[in-house]
Amino acid sequence: MSRYLDTLGTIVLLELRQRIRSVAWVVLVSVVFVLVGIVTLLLWASLAAFGNDISQSAGIYSTVIFFVLLVGTLVTPAISGAAINGDREAGTLATTQVTLASASQIVLAKFLAAWTVALTFLAASLPALLFTLIAGGVRGDTLAASLGVLVLELGVVAAIGVGLSGLISRPLFSVVTTYLVVAALSIGTLIAFTLGGLAFQSQQTQTYIGVDYSVGGEFDPVTGLPEEIVCLEPDTYTYPVPRFDYVWGILAANPYIVLADAAPTTFDRDGYPQDLFGQFAIGVRSAQLAPDLDSVVDECAAALAGDINTAYEFETPQQVFERTVPSWFVGLMIHLALAIAAMGGAIARTRTPAGSLPTGSRIA
Amino acid sequence: MNATAVIAVEGVSRSFGEVHAVRDASFEVHAGSVTALIGPNGSGKTTLLLMLATLLRPDAGSIRIAGHDPVADPRAVRSAMGWMPDVLGSWGSISVRRTLEITGRLYERGAAASRERAQQLIELVGLEPQAEQPTRVLSRGQKQRLSLARALVHEPSVLLLDEPASGLDPAARVELRTLVRRLAGEGVAVLVSSHVLAELDEMADAAVYLDHGVTASAERVERSRAQARDWRIRAIDGSQLEAALVRLGLAGASTDHLGTSVSVAGEREAAELLARLVSEGVAILAFGPAVGDLEHTFLDLARGDVAGADPAPASTEGSER
Repeated sequence: MSRYLDTLGTIVLLELRQRIRSVAWVVLVSVVFVLVGIVTLLLWASLAAFGNDISQSAGIYSTVIFFVLLVGTLVTPAISGAAINGDREAGTLATTQVTLASASQIVLAKFLAAWTVALTFLAASLPALLFTLIAGGVRGDTLAASLGVLVLELGVVAAIGVGLSGLISRPLFSVVTTYLVVAALSIGTLIAFTLGGLAFQSQQTQTYIGVDYSVGGEFDPVTGLPEEIVCLEPDTYTYPVPRFDYVWGILAANPYIVLADAAPTTFDRDGYPQDLFGQFAIGVRSAQLAPDLDSVVDECAAALAGDINTAYEFETPQQVFERTVPSWFVGLMIHLALAIAAMGGAIARTRTPAGSLPTGSRIA
Repeated sequence: MNATAVIAVEGVSRSFGEVHAVRDASFEVHAGSVTALIGPNGSGKTTLLLMLATLLRPDAGSIRIAGHDPVADPRAVRSAMGWMPDVLGSWGSISVRRTLEITGRLYERGAAASRERAQQLIELVGLEPQAEQPTRVLSRGQKQRLSLARALVHEPSVLLLDEPASGLDPAARVELRTLVRRLAGEGVAVLVSSHVLAELDEMADAAVYLDHGVTASAERVERSRAQARDWRIRAIDGSQLEAALVRLGLAGASTDHLGTSVSVAGEREAAELLARLVSEGVAILAFGPAVGDLEHTFLDLARGDVAGADPAPASTEGSER
């Protein structure tokens, strides 16, 4: 086992030496460092205007984490998407394959190296994250969950990139395919969710019973209601509503939703989320709720009871959170399964002596 | 030769879809010998070497390298075999020394042993001035040496060299030849593929001819060798030589700036011809085969192939002579 890890470590170091010394990497990390810094300072300046110091740092922290996820998923395919077929084109894969290094060692090492490089982008944004932490207001469990999921998601993208670079013979195509997978998960799920929700429509019937303001005498200055309350005839409206509750599972596969849903949110006094995690997560949570297909709004009865506003049921985001199920682990499982499948395929494809070759490729 | 066969190939074939790169290859390479693998471009040399190097699975046939099957036990073959590919890939941003050290580590040698071996190999292939430079700045010839050094990292008993001399200057070629002969002298079985037949002539003890994926049988090679070939004669007085040749009944000799070429049946006949020319009083400066052994056989086999358009080897042999 230690011999296995020895060889694995040798290839990881080799890969890092090959990539981290490149000028492109230094430039990219510096750009990320500066960008995250600018985003943090701008958010700090703008949110300070609202004077809510708790939401400030929690809000900034969550925004920076999402920003790092965005940058990481944009950069990682370029790092990992040509790991194996790029070596094949450069003629350095076969010379490694004839040594005692096995296919699994080669592929795993390339994945670990790509993951490490992706994490350096997270490291570049650590100063900005520390700044928000020092300001306080970020819960420990939120910190652990969001960082953990972010690290895992970057690993998933690295694994998919390395896997596809082993399965597809041309580096350009595997890099592009990795980007398409990332886009399918990040944007494609949103499109599928929206279109799916619109495709399944139901007829919603709403019955409205209002107060007849034209009779009943003087208006009460406090409640705005007439002295004597007379009910109108019930009015019935029918209109189609999209059924997002059928397709909310699609959103669960979105990495941004996974991250948002996994990180525990802080709510303010009125039950509103204070950070971006909660604001994203409320989207997938409220989509789980089926619309009330036969609702009755009885303003008149509410008015008779004394407060017309009780005719409208209202739930705070916090209440929605409490009666819906978290989905992040389903999304994370889907991502991990994709990553493992891609890596497994790449290992099988890189194994020598090779039975079949990708068309048009040269083994050396 | 009574030495044991370290490389034994029997009826090996491999195709890529419709392309039959290797159809039927059988040969042996013995310990302590250098065997040339000769064939025109696209004859399947590289594919054959890839199968020997445990990178490609043969469709049929059996391969034994140092007693192991590359398909069943690639690890055992890899620890005994060094392979120098025809594609010169190297880790661009890693130094020559680190490249060799890392390769040593990949062969599961310790850090100290890998360092020591890297130093030995740098001296062996003469890359001392470039040792600390990243490999991307190396010239083609220097990369070639690095590639050879990499193949030797784990002191293999079998060495597969795919076009090792291409890109080398004449001095480096001589060094390569000396090195390969030295390794063979130490008991390594070497298989070298090349187009440069004159080069192989001076290096190889034996030859395997590969054409359209088929190795020529020993009898066919023997027959080609025995066939009439051109000998080149140079005399101080060219007209005197021609007159003597006409007197000896050897008309049809062609003369160019290198000398006069005469078709002679075999070595014994060549020796007789020389003796008679000398006794005729011709002042001979040079007398020798017009082309090297390997080239002659290679060209003759290729010609035989063209003559017998039928692809089946048996009928080709029957139609000859």
